[in-house]
Amino acid sequence: MERPSGKFRFLFFTDLVGKKVVSSDGKQLGRLADLVAVSGEPYPPVESLLVRSGREIHQIPWTSVASVNGTIQLSAGAPIGPAPTGPMADRLHLGQEILDRQIVDMEGAKLVRVNDLHFLETKGQLRIAHVDVGLRGLVRRMGWQRPVDGLVGLVRPKSRYLNNDTFLSWKLVQPIESAPGRVRIEATKKALASLHPADLAEIMEDLDRHQREVLFQRLDVETAADALEETSTELATELLEAVPPEQAADILEEMAPDEAADALSELPGDTRAELLLAMEKPEAAEVAELLEYHPRSAGGLMTPDLVELPPTATVSDAFAEVRRRAEDLPLLYEIFVVEGGLLQGMVTLKDLIVAADPATPLSALLREIPASVGAGADVRDVARAASKYNLLSVPVVDSAGSLMGMVTVDDILAEVVDAA
Amino acid sequence: MPPEKRQVRPGRWKRVALFLAVMGPGLITASVDNDAGGITTYSVAGAQFGTKLLWTLGPITVALIVVQEMSARMGVVTGKGLADLIRENFGVRTTFWISVALVVANLANTIAEFAGVAASLQIFRVPPWVSVPLVAIGVWFLVLKGSYRLVEKVFLIASLLYIAYPISLVLAKPDWGEVALAAVTPTFSGDGAYVAMLIGLVGTTIAPWMQFYQQAAVVEKRIDVDELRYTRIDVVMGCIVTDIVAFSIVMACAATLHKQGISIQTADQAALALAPLAGKYASWLFAFGLFNASLFAAAILPLSTAYFVTESAGWESGLDRKWGEAKQFYWLFTGIVAVGAGVVLIPKLPLIRIMLVSQIVNGMLLPFVLIYMLRLANDEKLMGVHKNGRWFNMIAWTTTVVMITLTAYLVATGIRELVFT
Repeated sequence: MERPSGKFRFLFFTDLVGKKVVSSDGKQLGRLADLVAVSGEPYPPVESLLVRSGREIHQIPWTSVASVNGTIQLSAGAPIGPAPTGPMADRLHLGQEILDRQIVDMEGAKLVRVNDLHFLETKGQLRIAHVDVGLRGLVRRMGWQRPVDGLVGLVRPKSRYLNNDTFLSWKLVQPIESAPGRVRIEATKKALASLHPADLAEIMEDLDRHQREVLFQRLDVETAADALEETSTELATELLEAVPPEQAADILEEMAPDEAADALSELPGDTRAELLLAMEKPEAAEVAELLEYHPRSAGGLMTPDLVELPPTATVSDAFAEVRRRAEDLPLLYEIFVVEGGLLQGMVTLKDLIVAADPATPLSALLREIPASVGAGADVRDVARAASKYNLLSVPVVDSAGSLMGMVTVDDILAEVVDAA
Repeated sequence: MPPEKRQVRPGRWKRVALFLAVMGPGLITASVDNDAGGITTYSVAGAQFGTKLLWTLGPITVALIVVQEMSARMGVVTGKGLADLIRENFGVRTTFWISVALVVANLANTIAEFAGVAASLQIFRVPPWVSVPLVAIGVWFLVLKGSYRLVEKVFLIASLLYIAYPISLVLAKPDWGEVALAAVTPTFSGDGAYVAMLIGLVGTTIAPWMQFYQQAAVVEKRIDVDELRYTRIDVVMGCIVTDIVAFSIVMACAATLHKQGISIQTADQAALALAPLAGKYASWLFAFGLFNASLFAAAILPLSTAYFVTESAGWESGLDRKWGEAKQFYWLFTGIVAVGAGVVLIPKLPLIRIMLVSQIVNGMLLPFVLIYMLRLANDEKLMGVHKNGRWFNMIAWTTTVVMITLTAYLVATGIRELVFT
């Protein structure tokens, strides 16, 4: 390498692509068509360049590049090989797979389109540093950066266009269409799991079918379940059909039973039966029961996951039970007191926290249930009950008065908002 | 989908149900096709040239079906909009120039829609300076604040009004033998006005916005590859119904206006084609139909333009975003509605001519959109087994070459003629 180490500079993909590639004896080999990077690292290094001359494409390792200025000058004895055919594991064809594609911006939790790539060139290495998703990247691609920058500089030298580059660090983005490579799969899973499920759901709604399925398959079971709970039932159904039945069954087990039942209810009969069979027995039984009800009825919206205790249980018993079950309880305020299968009353979390003596039995704190509904009740009736009596969860009882489950206010809201 | 899944041919009722479930994108796109510019172009073509242009409608229908099927198929197979596909496969420069061309063409079309609003409400004695701003504000609210889906249904029902044209045509008692002969006998004239009208006819029937709009609608509906053949039925039905209406308008105008030697300068005159059916109420019927068509297209065109530009540039888009999140999207929509309505308010504007010229702009842009569509639809990596067949390519390329030739001819003989004659 002729360049002294320690020296570095930034380059754009747009600056590089199309440049003439010249061998050490001054022969022009063609023009730069694309760059191949190793995807395993946080800032992937460019491994080779693809050079087009006429209809042929050659591959040359980046280590053979002597200098990049007006042209790309190769060092003596640069090995020139044939271009790879088809995709390779852990390799990214930047122009083809990243440029102009949609990627997930992990920080902003949304989809963005890549307008340009920003490289750091140092010690004979070229590494991807940022993706440019801004307007200036588009202008650069058009080849108009100099005149447009000049013009904007004249009119508004302090404009955001000139002073804030809309760069996203490569570490904080997730390409969707290209394979992340074996090394990266774990990191990708972790990164995606850090997104809020609602954001992840929205990103999946915005993607096209293929990308959506690819992204979904990269989620771990828990993240996938959380995200599916937030998406539309239609989309949840589509995604469950896109993964192998065993994986779909695992995801369904992780989901809240009412949400799982909603997703299953839209599937064709035989697929539904197959998935229920593949699920663990207890979860499958819960979901199968919920499937019997109309999706917009109390039965269809209710979840059997709730805290129920006998009247003799103490406040500290109740806390212990809440802690034990915390994992599968998304929303919890009311604790139901049940004796001999019949619903006796309820105790709120506030009651428990306020109670001075942890040994107080629940029977001493018992409140009357202001309203309960039957499994056939329409969602509007459930909403009315919740609103009138300020309930976060409305108990669902059968005709004998025994507790079947509860409808939580988040599910009621979702239904009511959709209907409005 | 698990690969081992068996392909079972569903029973008859199941097939009907499946069709009803995917129906929509094709029929709606085709209905909007008969917008203000469309009705005007067909009317003027019939009034000015009689049955001389009738023969073109057959080939135009075939080309329309081929082009629209291609867009639907690409939407179903790739799950992506046309804007996305162009950006991802041809890069920023191509996308930019197509965007510019499409914005210009759609702006011209939006102006035509507001001209249609002005012209139709003038028949009810509402002056344009009242009707146009009111409708513009109405459209803006309808799309941004209202329920667009409901409006779509109302529009579709109202577009059944077009049946007035075929009825009127029958009542005018044309010589059907002559009509049949004219429909299959190609005639051509090198006259600039004739060529311009021909480009306008193709441009209004196979308008470039339709491919973008329909593909987006197919994607939004999440139609699956298994359902492709039902979507095809949807597309073909839409195209045929639309062109039957187009045929009737041309013929009705030929049988009434052309016979009496009336050339269309105002909407009142165009309405005379409906006189055999509606008598003295012809102008009301015409005005109502034109208003319905203009209003709906005035909502759809700015909206689909805003979607196209923002999606291909990678900006946030969609009516479910807040104004601050998707500024470009909302400003584009607002801007196109405002400019479209604003231009029509310029005093003493020849409304009919504006509507006509906008359709010729469509026709000139069409071949460029087609070239990119054809390259995408033939890409094996993208389309797999669903890439274009040989016959498809032949018809689509013929359409492209014919349109380029006609456009070149028109430019050579002078656009002056089409604007001022």
